[in-house]
Amino acid sequence: MATSQWWSSESFWRKTAIWVTGGSMVILILLTMDTLPQISAGSKRVPAYSVINHRIEYQLDNTRHVQVPVIGKEEPLFGVKLTEEEAEALVSHGKMTVQAKNCMNCHTLLGNGAYYAPDLTKAWLDQYWGNSDIRETQMVEFIKDPSNKLHNSLNRRMPNLGVTDEEARAVVAFLKWMSAIDTNGFPYNFKSIEQEN
Amino acid sequence: MATTMGRLDSANLNGGQKLAVKYFLVAGILFGAQILFGLISGLQYLMPELLYGVLDFSVNRMVHINALVVWLLYGFLGSVYWMLEEESQHEVVGLKLGNLIFWVLTSAVTVVVLVYLLVQVGPGNQTSLWLINEGREYIEAPRWADIGIVVSVLVFFYNVATTFSKGRYTGIAGVLVLDLLALFGLYLAGMFYTPNISVDQYWWWWVIHLWVEATWEVMVACIMAYGLMKVLGVRRKIVETWLYIEVALMFGSGILGLGHHYFWIGTPEYWFTIGGLFSALEPVPLVAMVVHAVFDAGARHAKNSNHPTMAWLIAHAFGNFFGAGVWGFMHTLPQINLYTHGTQWSASHGHLAFFGAYATIIIAFFYLAAQRWRGGVWMSGELPGNGWKWKWALGLLNLGMIGMTVALLISGYEQSQIERAIEGSSWIGYFAAQAHPWFIQGMWWREAFGVMFALGFVLLVWDLLTIGKGETRAQQAIAAE
Amino acid sequence: MIEPALLANFFTIFFSSAMVILLGALYALLFAFSRIKGERRLMPLAYLSYAGLVVATLTLAQAANLLKQPFWFSIVLLMLLGYLLAPHGIWHLCVSTHADEAPRDSAIPNSKQDFIS
Repeated sequence: MATSQWWSSESFWRKTAIWVTGGSMVILILLTMDTLPQISAGSKRVPAYSVINHRIEYQLDNTRHVQVPVIGKEEPLFGVKLTEEEAEALVSHGKMTVQAKNCMNCHTLLGNGAYYAPDLTKAWLDQYWGNSDIRETQMVEFIKDPSNKLHNSLNRRMPNLGVTDEEARAVVAFLKWMSAIDTNGFPYNFKSIEQEN
Repeated sequence: MATTMGRLDSANLNGGQKLAVKYFLVAGILFGAQILFGLISGLQYLMPELLYGVLDFSVNRMVHINALVVWLLYGFLGSVYWMLEEESQHEVVGLKLGNLIFWVLTSAVTVVVLVYLLVQVGPGNQTSLWLINEGREYIEAPRWADIGIVVSVLVFFYNVATTFSKGRYTGIAGVLVLDLLALFGLYLAGMFYTPNISVDQYWWWWVIHLWVEATWEVMVACIMAYGLMKVLGVRRKIVETWLYIEVALMFGSGILGLGHHYFWIGTPEYWFTIGGLFSALEPVPLVAMVVHAVFDAGARHAKNSNHPTMAWLIAHAFGNFFGAGVWGFMHTLPQINLYTHGTQWSASHGHLAFFGAYATIIIAFFYLAAQRWRGGVWMSGELPGNGWKWKWALGLLNLGMIGMTVALLISGYEQSQIERAIEGSSWIGYFAAQAHPWFIQGMWWREAFGVMFALGFVLLVWDLLTIGKGETRAQQAIAAE
Repeated sequence: MIEPALLANFFTIFFSSAMVILLGALYALLFAFSRIKGERRLMPLAYLSYAGLVVATLTLAQAANLLKQPFWFSIVLLMLLGYLLAPHGIWHLCVSTHADEAPRDSAIPNSKQDFIS
């Protein structure tokens, strides 16, 4: 039997635990400092809120082997072009509505949440909305009272959450903005709505 | 200490332990609530009209996961108060304040749940987030409650830190105090609003991941260290050295393991490398535990003073290994996570990991508490009825959980094939997968095993309330320290 | 940087990932059992599990498109080496941390009496 060695002593492992924990935290903080500017609104991966003034497309990037959002020509949401501040206020109102209505406990957003209803990451681009001409109205009407709309063959329906017209339009703005985030190809193999001229 | 053998008598408990059993009682009630609301939301997959517009899935699911978080936290708080006086060899400092805070916290939890159930949602403004629901999975508690939690936790921290510093400051104490500090500091990272969902989820994961896969793990390691000294009589020096080893391994792999949540939320691609790499390291502490457990079991005859506790500690070792280790690594690499992220895979992993890593160890502690509360009664072999209640509860709860996990895995597997790979993650694809027979059957089996789990829970409660009743033998003596 | 796996490889990845962890643990378990019980016959089984682990890891790495990139290939090798040596290291640690443990056939309650109350 070996006797107690320095590498098995209590004090050695106490120091190791402290250094490993501290070291990992420092690395995490450095990485966070690098990541946060890259995901702030207006960066390459997370676009400015005024992106809702443009068409969003979702295309395969051959070098990265995944689909990425592509910001297209001007195509303002609800036909009204907004300034950066107005766009941020609208998207923010939408995000707050998404939180206050507890959307995340049925849906997933960026893949996180509950699994009772479809993922919302690319909801703006979903084929369910028919075509891009009627999409905005369809979405607003659906969010205001989904209980009597067509959902699926399972009879699983979204309840009426008392969303006002103003809130519904803000939620659509939030969803359009979110669909323009570069999520490294998530959700995989997504088939986007037709957006012909 | 005067003992009243075989009766639940608070004279058998020290000050901290009297407070601890209050926490344990509420934890048990919330555990029951968690199961109830889990059963309802599981049933809604199969019968969507059930309680539609009254208690919608979102509400039930929110109560289900919030009850989980809160009962585990109550279990941790209780366990720490339980061991505090023995570990520090000093009376709990500020116990009155601790008692007061227990009532404040419990009232707050009650109000939050009532608002969840009765008010449910509010208009899209700050007031809703402050008063009703913050709408962020796991930390839905409205902002006023967040502040309440922080205050409660500071009082708890004061109790623990000052008691240890006035009494004996052991190795376990050192790890525990620092871990609590981290636990509470991290909660603050979830207490702000931003319209930017990428930034939102970036910090949200700091709370969720660094709680569940780092600070909670270390909290459990502290509780486990104490439990091993109590039940198996392992010596302090060994237990504490191994506590440091586990902390080094867990934090070393777990903190940067955070990266595996940063694959798809808008964060840069280097997180693939960090997340993949550290996820592959996360099983290392588990392997270390396997080797050490075998060594330990061989070095002593498996004699112990509390059989139910020992059985649940073993369930913990297996559950942690399979739930966190196998089920976690199975879908953690980005190449496969692209298909599985946000499907029932996550639910499968979540169920087994939370149960295996956390619920089991708190149940183990419940038995330790029941033993002492009845005056340190015998809980080794030859219990009345051969201990059928605790054995059946153990079997039903574990089988029920394994059944649910496997059923969810089958549904999730089908989902990743049909919804993700073939249909392309759209609305149509999602429902094509939800309507598939594999999925629906998986949901039925999940519900059936959920009922089994609920029966196990009923038996567990019955057993905890009756075990050791009228027992005259004192607990089996083992060596400690 | 990261190439999404082929759908055909989906099952391979999930299954081999599970096997990596299971065989890693089995190797550790058998290794520890063999040492503690002095059962030399178990040791070949332990290394057989390790061989299985190598196969599972390489299958996983192949299916997840890791072998094409030198960086990831070296990580895979490093992992394999790490998992080979980890049980040895942890075993030495066990022996060494328990080195001054007294023979414990007599169950002597400690002086504080706090666990019998």
